[in-house]
Amino acid sequence: MTMSEPQIRVLFIDDEARILRALKALFRDCEVYATVDPAEAIRLARVHDVDVVVCDQRMPKMQGVEVLREIRLAHPRCMRVLLTGYADLNAVLGSVNEGEVFRYVSKPWDNNELRGIVRLAAKISRDTPVVLDKPVEERDREQARRQVGILVIEDNAETQQRMREILQPHYQVRFVTSPERALQVLEQHETGVIISETAGQHGDFTALIKTLKQYHPHIATVVVTDRANAQVAIDLINEGQVFRLLLKPVRMGSCRLSVDAAVGRYWQLKQNPQAARRYFVAPSPDALIPTWLAGSLLQRIRLLPSRLLGIARAH
Amino acid sequence: MLEIILGTACLILAGVAVVAHLSAKRARTRVIELSADLEKMQSTQSQVIHTTKLASLGQMIAGVAHEMNTPIGFVKSNVEVVRELMNEHRVLVGKCVQGFDMMLAADLARPESAAAIRRTLSKVRNALANDARLPDADELLKDSVDGLVQIANLVKNLKGFARVDSDGMDLLDLNECVESALTIAAHQLRDRIDVVKELGNLPKIHGIASQINQVLLNLITNAGQAMEDGGKLSLISRRAGDMVEVEVSDTGKGIPDKILPKIFDPFFTTKPVGEGTGLGLSIVHKIVQGHGGTIKVRTTPEKGSSFTISFPVDHALLKQPA
Repeated sequence: MTMSEPQIRVLFIDDEARILRALKALFRDCEVYATVDPAEAIRLARVHDVDVVVCDQRMPKMQGVEVLREIRLAHPRCMRVLLTGYADLNAVLGSVNEGEVFRYVSKPWDNNELRGIVRLAAKISRDTPVVLDKPVEERDREQARRQVGILVIEDNAETQQRMREILQPHYQVRFVTSPERALQVLEQHETGVIISETAGQHGDFTALIKTLKQYHPHIATVVVTDRANAQVAIDLINEGQVFRLLLKPVRMGSCRLSVDAAVGRYWQLKQNPQAARRYFVAPSPDALIPTWLAGSLLQRIRLLPSRLLGIARAH
Repeated sequence: MLEIILGTACLILAGVAVVAHLSAKRARTRVIELSADLEKMQSTQSQVIHTTKLASLGQMIAGVAHEMNTPIGFVKSNVEVVRELMNEHRVLVGKCVQGFDMMLAADLARPESAAAIRRTLSKVRNALANDARLPDADELLKDSVDGLVQIANLVKNLKGFARVDSDGMDLLDLNECVESALTIAAHQLRDRIDVVKELGNLPKIHGIASQINQVLLNLITNAGQAMEDGGKLSLISRRAGDMVEVEVSDTGKGIPDKILPKIFDPFFTTKPVGEGTGLGLSIVHKIVQGHGGTIKVRTTPEKGSSFTISFPVDHALLKQPA
């Protein structure tokens, strides 16, 4: 940390006091607040205007996801990290859909990695404006509908049909079954929300979702899957900052709510492009990019024209 | 005429004999079928015990992995941080040593040089004396030792639970089984349930440890599930005459009278389809019976349930010197 920057203020919540002592020692160059009491945590976050909160999932009085949801509402500027010893799928889904966490870190953690995450989160939290969660306002709705397309990457005909029924009356929805076709749509139409399975009959979609987020963080991704797996979901958070993660079968209520929220998020970022940095994920190292994506597709993702993304390019 | 009658009688007799023979054969076939069924049922039952054992193994691995990640998390972090603290402390010690070297080399006959050295030396001395890194490191190491003991105990209980070293009859301590099962179930209880243990002095019993552990894990897990909104789980072990018994009680929702007679039936379940096989308590019952023991249940709706398993103590064993 340089002298000119004020100390990072970080809050740790865990029911195990020895974890809190370890984290205090690890972050001894920061202004650290720590508590075993979730209710106290929500107060501390607000009163001390903390930059980052790092929270355990399994605690006696309140689950971590609930604590993070409350903190998100009480103190939206603060970035949220879940630190947990147990990859329980429900906890992972909750951390996305309710906690909107910046990163999901497993215990035992890597000290340098955790320090890096907290530092990055703190910097983003201080430098980046917050966009509030709200759907597109009534007066803008028609304009949003004309401008903003929704891309569905899904090769199951039944699911496609279901999505068409739910979304077509309200949005411009385009359906594709492969990454190649997805890119064609993205090149031709302004797209604010991508709804995708994690994989199709011919392979994985997650690498595409992650790479798109890495280069175009303002596009909101809603993953709808029946291939539920905690690790895939964790990777989608940490490498793809997925906006919502839903399990099939697709239900009208949750699907509509999630897509409305995603369009709302995109619409806000469109007016306020710097805020997209809150959903920052670093580009994957070349070695981890699958070969089908590494060549011309990756190049095309990088070069997606900002005109079609509807905003001034942030970088 | 007589011939005809005789002939007819013969035919009838032959017919009766054939019918008798056939029905006897059919009966025999039926008997064979029945015993095949029985064999099939027995093998299904042992398969079921095996499958639920695998399920409890999965439960065990998930539980212990979670329980271990917490101590491993802080021990690993602490050790790395202590190293950093030691390195930072070493820098201070180095400065102090430098100061001493200066003092030793200095010409103390010249008062102004002595005063300068004194100033420097007292500065580094104070920095060293007030350095909080050593006490901090000490606290982190103390936590780490605790954490390692916790991990060692988990591993011990894990080995005790699985008993991979032996699947036959053994002399076993029911209290140890209770501790093992409790460790395995801990991650399902910790968030919301108070656990109270009153474990008495017990003679050992003959039994298959992995099966007894499975019974206890099952009873503890059920108790936990009966107390969705939290409550108290009591585990009491005692000697009662020729028997030793363990009582697993919860303060949960209890078992309604109308289903109480069915709880030990195979495939009876109150859980939604897809959750729970309905085999838990029937397996428990079977294992306890197989050990010559009994299982009793007391329940009060909305107050809680209490399962008591009892096993006979081997008298020959009691006479042997310990």
